[in-house]
Amino acid sequence: MSQSLAVRPAQDAVTLARVREIVEQLAARDRSGEILTAVHHIPAREAKFAPMPEWVRAELVAAYGEKGVAELYSHQAAAAEAVRAGRNTVVVTPTASGKTLCYNLPVLNAVLENPDTRALYVFPTKALAQDQLAELHDLSARLGHRFGVFTYDGDTPSDARKAIREQGHIVLSNPDMLHTGILPHHTRWQRLFENLRYVVLDELHTYRGVFGSHLANVLRRLRRIARFYGADPQFICSSATIANPGELASRLAETEFEVIEENGAPAGEKFFIFYNPPVVNRFLGIRRSYINEASRVAQEFLKRKLQTIVFANSRLHTEVLLTYLQQANPMPPGQPPAIRGYRGGYLPGERREIERGLREGRIRGVVSTNALELGIDVGSLDATIMAGYPGTIASTWQRAGRAGRRSGSSCAVLVASSSPLDQFIAQHPDYFFGRSPEHAFVQPDNLEILVNHLKCAAFELPIAANETFGGINVPELCERLSEAGFLHRTGEHWHWTQEAYPADAVSLRSVTSDNFVIVDTTQETEVIGEVDFSSALTIVHPKAIYLHQGQQYHVERLDFEERKAYVKRVDVDYFTDAIRYTQVRVLERAAGDRIVLLPHSPCESSGGADAHAARSHGDVLVRSQVVGFKKIKFFTNENVGDGKLELPENEMHTTAFWLTLERPLVASLPFSVSDRQSGMFGLLHALESIATLLLMCDARDLGTAIGERPPSPGSEIEWDESPGIEAAAALAEKEFFEPNLYLYDAYPGGIGFSEPLYRAHNLLLTKTRELIAGCPCEKGCPSCVGPLGERGERAKEAALEILFRLGV
Amino acid sequence: MSLTDKFAHIAALRPARKREVAPPRAADLSPECDRLAQLLGAQIRRNHYGEHLSLQQWYATPEMCTPDARSLSLLLPRGTPEAHAIAESSADPEQWLFLDTETTGLAGGTGTYAFLVGLAWWDAGGLQVEQFFMRDLDEEHSLLLELSERMARRPVLVTFNGKCFDWPLLETRYRMTRAIPSFTPKVHLDLLHPARQLWRLRLGSVRLQELERHILAVEGHALEWSRHDDIDSSLIPEMYFDYLRGGAAEPLAGVFRHNQMDLRGLAALAGKILTLIDSGNGAADAPHHSTHDPLDLYSLSRLLQRRGNPARARELYETALHVGLPHPVERLAQRELAHLAKRELDYTRATSLWEELRQAPKVVKRNAAGILQEDAQRALEAAIEAAEQLAIYYEHRAKQPRRAAELTSHAIAELRGAQLAGGIGAARARRIEGRLARRLARLERHGVIRTTHKLLRAGNV
Ligand SMILES: [Zn+2]
Repeated sequence: MSQSLAVRPAQDAVTLARVREIVEQLAARDRSGEILTAVHHIPAREAKFAPMPEWVRAELVAAYGEKGVAELYSHQAAAAEAVRAGRNTVVVTPTASGKTLCYNLPVLNAVLENPDTRALYVFPTKALAQDQLAELHDLSARLGHRFGVFTYDGDTPSDARKAIREQGHIVLSNPDMLHTGILPHHTRWQRLFENLRYVVLDELHTYRGVFGSHLANVLRRLRRIARFYGADPQFICSSATIANPGELASRLAETEFEVIEENGAPAGEKFFIFYNPPVVNRFLGIRRSYINEASRVAQEFLKRKLQTIVFANSRLHTEVLLTYLQQANPMPPGQPPAIRGYRGGYLPGERREIERGLREGRIRGVVSTNALELGIDVGSLDATIMAGYPGTIASTWQRAGRAGRRSGSSCAVLVASSSPLDQFIAQHPDYFFGRSPEHAFVQPDNLEILVNHLKCAAFELPIAANETFGGINVPELCERLSEAGFLHRTGEHWHWTQEAYPADAVSLRSVTSDNFVIVDTTQETEVIGEVDFSSALTIVHPKAIYLHQGQQYHVERLDFEERKAYVKRVDVDYFTDAIRYTQVRVLERAAGDRIVLLPHSPCESSGGADAHAARSHGDVLVRSQVVGFKKIKFFTNENVGDGKLELPENEMHTTAFWLTLERPLVASLPFSVSDRQSGMFGLLHALESIATLLLMCDARDLGTAIGERPPSPGSEIEWDESPGIEAAAALAEKEFFEPNLYLYDAYPGGIGFSEPLYRAHNLLLTKTRELIAGCPCEKGCPSCVGPLGERGERAKEAALEILFRLGV
Repeated sequence: MSLTDKFAHIAALRPARKREVAPPRAADLSPECDRLAQLLGAQIRRNHYGEHLSLQQWYATPEMCTPDARSLSLLLPRGTPEAHAIAESSADPEQWLFLDTETTGLAGGTGTYAFLVGLAWWDAGGLQVEQFFMRDLDEEHSLLLELSERMARRPVLVTFNGKCFDWPLLETRYRMTRAIPSFTPKVHLDLLHPARQLWRLRLGSVRLQELERHILAVEGHALEWSRHDDIDSSLIPEMYFDYLRGGAAEPLAGVFRHNQMDLRGLAALAGKILTLIDSGNGAADAPHHSTHDPLDLYSLSRLLQRRGNPARARELYETALHVGLPHPVERLAQRELAHLAKRELDYTRATSLWEELRQAPKVVKRNAAGILQEDAQRALEAAIEAAEQLAIYYEHRAKQPRRAAELTSHAIAELRGAQLAGGIGAARARRIEGRLARRLARLERHGVIRTTHKLLRAGNV
């Protein structure tokens, strides 16, 4: 990619004028001042240059020179120097800041210095690896084809694989291929491993939660195999802006990293607008459809001839927006449409054609899923419209970065949905525009995940008694694996003793391999997805409406023995919500602390008073059973029916963060018993929303429950007998004397969320209060404490009162 | 909560299958590993990497066969440089080493072991078998060292499916040692490929045991070994794992026996294939036509044709057609034979075969065990191709452009019909039709006829 600044002053002035016109027009419509919650102007930034380091070989300087890169941006130079000095490096860069040069320059220089040098690039998706290939091929051609670059993924033809193993100086792959294709066959990759000097991890921030915890273990295996061949590769990572890139890199690769955060790339000026659709029913907190609003906003840009990308969060919404915008921008018959769709599932050739059309300006607008969020080069557009918050601040910036890459002015508009996260972000722009509060967490020592990878490791190379693998006692675990028949100890080594490939049974996207397969029987039977065991009960129970890529499916039958859910396509106006009865038992409190009111606390004038509450985190056992389900109508959230279910109980050992409200606090709340309960459930609902924001995770990654605090931590509590649907309802009415409000990791063994929540507890409570207090509804709504129908009339009030007594 | 409790909930630790507890060892016996040695009469081999077991047996059958260098060169992979010189130097049976392994799995990869490596070579007119066995997985190094020494003595490796399975697996094992180099054989003859070419049509499956039953144990004499109490080979990995975990030695004796039979079958198959090719090649001392099955004759002709003996191939095709072939193989044979005749400029024979192909019924049904969809498809195309070949003949040789154009139009119509009926792929049909259309256009340009248009419309089946 050229770094020469293609200056288009005249064009830029026009763009700026049009963007200002749109902003003014939107503002004029917003009489209440509640719609445009932020109009943030980001001034243009000058480039900070640094000279090409002296050690870069002349031919490489020349090759980059031909591409228009004579100088480096300051962060590129800093990264290249850090890598040159042998340090593991993570570069934090926004979109379009020339991050690929940060790793290509030092890697190619090393290859040119010593043609034996090998590097492995790992991208989170196949498409990103393909995209990088073009850039590297271009450099290779300019350097007289002195190095080989190949992608190695599931699509690589088998007759090409041998050549790649032997001749690929740089191999571009993905975690899944590394896990199932490369590591279990490392002897075929002997040349690569013997000379493996660099491992590049691109889009590091995507490796968090379950996927990240798996990747950390794949990297343990990778380094183990590299050691076997006498190599100890250096890591070079790139990440979008998050709060803890260095920590994440260290957790993933288990080594020290140098973090380069200063960004020397130039940027044009940008307007960032938060657009919150107007409230149409203040009592129920219902807003105008954000999809319609997003298409209206997009049309404002399109009709002014501004090239626009629209992001939707589901395939269905992509199609809806595409239809609308194509109708609004008709083309003469016989001409290709000016607005195109882009998502996974399109053929590669079609995708390339759309990418090219965008770069060349032939295509005026594109509606995309997150497929265009990362890396893929589509040139710089004028505007980004996001229909719904993408889920994380990092993703939002990446999508916004699709418009106005280097120079000129551009505009990004976030159109908020009514989900709690969207509403929180829309109403707290400072949280978004300030220093990133988002942390990426992983738990590489999750036993379930680790044991699976230890099996894979044993397949790859017998495990020595004195080896280390993560934070576990290797010999003890190997003995257990031997007892179960997976390993066999001979002398000082454990060997794999199963016919089956362990890696085949381990998906990097789920914790256990105990998954339910979802079979669509609408026409031909076809497997459309998988869900893990614990989610299966709530997502694909009989009669559930299962959503897959925007399409609704009705679950006809759940076969427990075969682990299969049979579904049929339907089109209904409701979704289902499982009624789950959950009990949590504290097994071991890892840390705990009483909550003491701070000096400036709104509750007490003098600080240091006891709030009669505590926070903790530790190991818990979660027992849950789905006893029934409700049918809930779209948009209005009306309950339009329910059903009973008889499903087996599920028990899960995991980790949790919990708040304990002690008797004096509960008793002092000026509400009836049932309103107090409502307040607690409402508070927990909001806490969960804010927790997903801080942890960069999905709602499905966390579970919630309220239970009576046991007499002393660790002591046994009686499980209630498995209840029916009525009993579960009655149980929810039972008065809590000293409740624990649990936020637990929804994966066996925990995925590393509980301890960070414990640490960030002040932030968690403060932001939760802001969410509830800032919500324009009167008495609670799905955006804050949960739907009104499920909570009492005073849920919102009671939740705020509890927070007040906790000092926020 | 204690750690053991923590482990109790881990799904990844749940046993993969229910295993029966291995029968306890009798207290008065020596350790089981030596029990196996006693049971089989095996010896312990030692080198500086350690120990492993070795079992030697000599068999009077199969009898040694001496390969003919010319036949051998036909078995080398196509495109082997200096195939003839290599065949010449490999024809010495003293250099041959048969190899077959028993492994802990079929998937390959770095975690699959070859725990039993069986070797065999011709000796004293019969077959000497030697089997190396790891009593535990740490005996692999000493086994591999001895294996590479054995291979260095006999550099012509003969296997059945060894190119895809046994040999890559062993190479992986050698690489895993980081110390012991593997010996690279001078030639690796994988008999699976010629066996598939020769008998796939007749038998469908060409697994070694099928070949033993249908190819080797015929013509009045049974095999000297019997598979009737052979073990189920899919159980071999579990049998070995049970043994490793202290199970009884007896079941493994069955694995050794299975491997011995595989080696003897492999050696016998080598003899059979070479004799057959010798006879096909017309070697002086070979029994004339060691097969009488016309399908086998056809397959042998194909092999000879593809691997460079077209003259003999033509003779054998004629014989096979004379004996009588089932549809659609008869048409395939006619087509190949016509092709060979044309190459020898024998247009009389070629045109008569093409005319025959034009007469043959249009619908082709599969009716032999191993005939695949693609064979049936090729046969279907044969009639169209015959029309095209005849058109070429009439245009250039017989100088009857009118007849040539007529045939070309028929061919196009038949091609479209075949494509509509799903008998031929769209891409392929397009390619052939393009060729035919160009011919027709050329014939018309040279002022041949206009009637073809009418014909085409009428013949639009
Ligand atoms: Zn609300």
